[in-house]
Formats: sequence, C-alpha cells, structure tokens
Amino acid sequence: MIELTGCMLAAGEPSSNSLAIFGAVFGCGMAIIGASIGIGFIGGKAAEAIARQPQIGGRILTAMIIAAALIEGLTFFSLIICFLAIFWMKG
Amino acid sequence: MVHSVFLAEMNPLKPVIAEPLFRFSIGGHEIVFSNHMLMITVAGIILLIVIPLGARKKNLAPKGLQNLIEGICVFLREEVARPALGESTDKFVYFVWTIFFFILTLNLLGMMPTESMYYLITGRENHFGGAAATNIWITGALASITFVLTHAAGIKKYGLFKYLALLAPKVPLPILPLIYVLEIISALVRPFALAVRLFANILAGHIILATFIGLIIIFKNWGVAAGSIAMIIAMSFLELLVAFIQTYIFTLLSTLFISLAIEAEHG
Repeated sequence: MIELTGCMLAAGEPSSNSLAIFGAVFGCGMAIIGASIGIGFIGGKAAEAIARQPQIGGRILTAMIIAAALIEGLTFFSLIICFLAIFWMKG
Repeated sequence: MVHSVFLAEMNPLKPVIAEPLFRFSIGGHEIVFSNHMLMITVAGIILLIVIPLGARKKNLAPKGLQNLIEGICVFLREEVARPALGESTDKFVYFVWTIFFFILTLNLLGMMPTESMYYLITGRENHFGGAAATNIWITGALASITFVLTHAAGIKKYGLFKYLALLAPKVPLPILPLIYVLEIISALVRPFALAVRLFANILAGHIILATFIGLIIIFKNWGVAAGSIAMIIAMSFLELLVAFIQTYIFTLLSTLFISLAIEAEHG
C-alpha cells in the first residue's frame, strides 16, 4: 500500500479511480466524527448517572455498552460502504 | 529453530481470507470447503462435546465446568430472554443459548493462531485456521436464521394475515401505506444490520492486528518491533472484549426482534 502511494506521488499520474479512493477515505473520516461524538455523549451521561446513584452502576454500565455497540454497528456500516468504493468497484 | 524463522513469513491477513481447502461434488453442484467452513465445523464439534460434559452432573451447588455453562445460561435466560419475551421464554431460550455459544466459540477460535500452532507441530504450511465471523456469508446466514425465526414465530402465533396487519400501528388511513412501507423496510434492514455489525467488528479487529504486524515488516527495526508488539498485545485484549460484547449484542438484538414479533404491539 505504501509503495503504491509512493509510486503515484512520484509519477504524478492519477489512477482511474483516485477520486473514488479520496472520497472513500474522506467518508471514513467523517463517519468517525459522528460515532465518537455519540459514544462520548453516552459515556458522559453514564458517568453522571453513576455519580448520582452508585448502587445501580452495573446496570448503567450494561446499558452504556449496548448503546455504544449499536452506534459502532452503524459506523461499521459506512466503513463497509467505503471499502466497497475502494476495493470492489469495477474499473 | 528453523520453524520460527518461517513463522514470520506468514501473511498476517490469513485468518480473514477464506481460501478453499478442498472441493467435493454432490449431485451436479460443486461445494467448496473453505477454512471458514472448517472453523464452523470445529466450533460445532467443540460445543457438541463440551456442553453435554458440563450438563452431565446435576449438582445443586455446581462447580467447575457445570458452573461456567450454567452461569452463562442462567444469565441469558433471566437477564436477556425473560424481560423481553415474558411467558414464551421457554420456547425461545434454546435458540438464544445456541446463538450465544456458537458465535462466542467462533470469535474466540478466530483469536487463536491455529495455523501457526499447526505449523509448529507438523511443519507444514497450511491454512487451517481463521476467524469465521469475517465471512459475510456466515454472519449473513446467522442473521437470516434470526429473520426466519422472528417472522415464523409471529405468523405461527397470529396467522399470516393478522400478523401482516399487526405490523403497522394505528394511524389515520392516508398515511397508512407509507407507514407500512417503512415497517417492511425496517424489517428487512434489521437482520442486514445484525450481519454487518458482527462482520465488520471482527474484520476491523483482525485488520488492525495485521496492520501492526505489517509495520514490522515494512520498517525492519527493533524499536518499531517493540512498540508494535506492545500495541498488538493491547489491541488483542480489546479484540477479546469486542468478541464477547458483539456476541452479547447479537443475542440481545435477536431476542428483541423475536419479542417484537410475538407480542401484540401497537395494540
């Protein structure tokens, strides 16, 4: 992968789907922004809830893990679509 | 001594790739047996041996293997199945247990370096290991089993037309077709999301581990190797945590879908 990028930069000639690769990588970066904001929000609210009532800390932890895994599922959705654009497009 | 030299030449992305091991024909169709199919067979055999071993003694105060399996099964029945399913828990709890133990065994087998262990024992280059959940067909098959089970359970309880009528809530007549289309789409997207979530989580973990090993191959430097191995150990811990969490999420969401289908919702 590094040799390929090096060749591209050295030769200066774009491949036929360089715009697709750029778009896919940019999309990955954008997707991770949304996921990290969402999971950070959940973590913060969970910490506040545990601080208010420490004896139900276990249940709050379980709910936090479940919500974080659901958000990560959506993020990996967009990651798979980005992989589709890079590796599995014809031509 | 010569084995450990060749161990470093193995492709780090090998668990992820499904390579055909041998082919055999049944009837007119050719079936390709890949290493992922070998892993699901191995997981099935392991579960068929270990779980009856744990269920043989019926001590009232369990210890050992019986304690482990019974603890997991009771947790799944009381915390996952009973709050969602209510009185029809006993019908569906077997499916919940099977899905949980099967996906857990698949993920944990994927984290073990089985091809390297086989190579160290016999010295033959092989492809006998792999993480089966990195195959979209295997996770898609598990998700479609859930899909068929939810709708079959709903249709069996309510009959075909009443179940289709129960899919939509009570809204005014003009927007009823739109709500109906949305419900049909969500019923199709949910198992797809289930499959892709498990697939992408396990695949991403293995790709991260392979990338760190690839850093050592590219830089060929002792300092990079030390830092890279520390990161690989940390990421492997995270991958084990993700294996457990993803099986729990798959099981929980399957139970929730079954409970949505069999209760009289929007009633």
